[in-house]
Amino acid sequence: MMNKKTLFESLQQQGVTRRGFMKYCTALTSLMALPPSMIPIVANALESAKRPSVIWLSFQECTGCAESLLRSHSPTVEGLIFDHISLDYQHTLQAAAGDAAEHAREQAMKEHYGKYLVVVDGSIPLADPGYSTIAGISNLDMLNETVAGAAAVIAVGTCSAYGGLPMADPNPTGAVSVSSLVKDKPVINVPGCPPIPTVITGVLAHYLTFGSIPELDDLGRPKVFYGQSIHDRCYRRPFYDKGLFAETFDDEGAKKGWCLYRLGCKGPMTYNACATLKWNQQTSWPVESGHGCLGCSEPNFWDAGSFYKALSIPDGDYAKAAGYAVATGVALGAAAGFANQKTKSSAVSQHTKVTVDDFDMNKDKK
Amino acid sequence: MSSQALADIKVQVESNEYESGNLDSILSEIAFHLEQLLEQKKTHSIDLRAMPWSPGDEDKLEAYLGQGEIQIELNALGKSLFYETQYSGIWIVTHYNQEDEIIGKLIEITYMPEMVFSQKDDVKDSIERLKQY
Repeated sequence: MMNKKTLFESLQQQGVTRRGFMKYCTALTSLMALPPSMIPIVANALESAKRPSVIWLSFQECTGCAESLLRSHSPTVEGLIFDHISLDYQHTLQAAAGDAAEHAREQAMKEHYGKYLVVVDGSIPLADPGYSTIAGISNLDMLNETVAGAAAVIAVGTCSAYGGLPMADPNPTGAVSVSSLVKDKPVINVPGCPPIPTVITGVLAHYLTFGSIPELDDLGRPKVFYGQSIHDRCYRRPFYDKGLFAETFDDEGAKKGWCLYRLGCKGPMTYNACATLKWNQQTSWPVESGHGCLGCSEPNFWDAGSFYKALSIPDGDYAKAAGYAVATGVALGAAAGFANQKTKSSAVSQHTKVTVDDFDMNKDKK
Repeated sequence: MSSQALADIKVQVESNEYESGNLDSILSEIAFHLEQLLEQKKTHSIDLRAMPWSPGDEDKLEAYLGQGEIQIELNALGKSLFYETQYSGIWIVTHYNQEDEIIGKLIEITYMPEMVFSQKDDVKDSIERLKQY
C-alpha cells in the first residue's frame, strides 16, 4: 500500500522533532551530493513529498547490486524501504514467493499506474528468452509489461545500464541494456559493478524529494555523481602530474602511494564518485587500497583489454609522456581517455584474454 | 613454515613525506567565509563527506582546528555533536544515526549552528502539550 501521508507527517507521528527532521534533511542532502546550502530547499520539498511505489526487477545479474544497496548505511536500507519508498516487489527481499509475489507486482502496477518507479538490475537476454525467466515470464516480457505504467526506470548496475558482464564478448545470451529496449520512458543509468550504495539511494532520494529525475550525462548517468572522472578527483593525481608512478605492486612507488596509471588504472576514462564517496562507510576505495580503477562504471569495461595494461597514450612513450605530465596532466588524461575509447571498440570484436603475463610488470622492459 | 611475529612485518605508512595541499585550500576557504560572516553576516557550510581527501587529511584538519570552549550534544534520531573549534565562528558538526554511524559531517561557519536554536514548530507543539496539563 502506498502511504498517503507525507514523509514529514509520518516522521512527526513517530515523535520526531523539527531538529530531527532538519538533521534527516542534512544527511539526505549530503547523500544526494548537493551542497549544504540546499538543505532548506530539500526540507521544503520533503514536507510535501509522498513515498513512491518501487518495483525492483532482477534479470541477468549476480545480486551484487542488491547486496551493495543492503550494505548502504546512510540512511539504512530499513529506513530507505520503510520511510523513503514503498518497495512493493523485490523477489530476493520480499517474504512472498511464487504466485503471491507476482500478484504483489501486478497489484502495485494497478494501484500506482503511471506513478511507480521501476528499478532494474541485470541485463536482458534476447538470443533465447529461456536464459533468464521469472515465474515462467521472460525478462523481456516482464520488462515491457512493468515499464508500461512506470513514471521512470532506474537501471542499477553496469549490466542493466550497459549490458555489463553478460554482454561481454562473445555475449552468449544476446544480452542488452535496459536503455536499448525502453525508449518511451526516462531511463536513469546508475552503473558500477556494483554501484556505490549511497549513489543508488541518492538517486532514489532525489526522485522522492524533487519528484523529478536528476540531470543526466550523455550516457544517461546522473551528473551529480558521475560528472567527474576518477582521475580528476583522485588524491594520487598530484603524483601523476609530477610523473611519479608505481611500476609494480610492491616497488618503492607503490609503497609511497604514487600514481597507479602504469599498472593499468582506468581512472582517466572512468566517471564515478568512488574518490569522494568511497566504500564501506567511507573507509577506503580501490585506489586508496593500492589497486588501479577497473573502470567498472563504463560501457564494455570487461572487454577493454587487461585491467593491468596501462591505458595507451598517443605516442605510446610513457617515459616521454611522464616528462610532460607536469604541464599537461589534464590534456594527457583526456587523450588517454580518447585512446582507450578506441581500444574498447576494437576489443568488442577481438576479445582480449588476460594471461599470467599481464601481471608481469617488467615484461615490456625485458 | 617459519613463524613470524606481527612486529617482524614491516609496515610502511604511505606517503609520510607527502603533503596533499588539501589543508591549505580548505583553510583559505574557511578564512574567506569567516570574513564574510563578520562583514556580511553570511553563514556557510562545507560538507566534509564530499571532499576528495587524501588518507589522513581529515584528521589533520581536525587536529589543526582543535577544540574550543563549547560543545553541544543533540539527541534526535541518534546523536549529533556540535563543537566550536579553537577558531571562533568555526564549528564542526557530526550527525550520527541510531546505530552510531556517521551520516553527516560538516564545517559550519556561523555564530551558532541553526539546529541548536529551539525550532518554531517544536515550540508550537510544546504550547499544545502544556495546555493539556
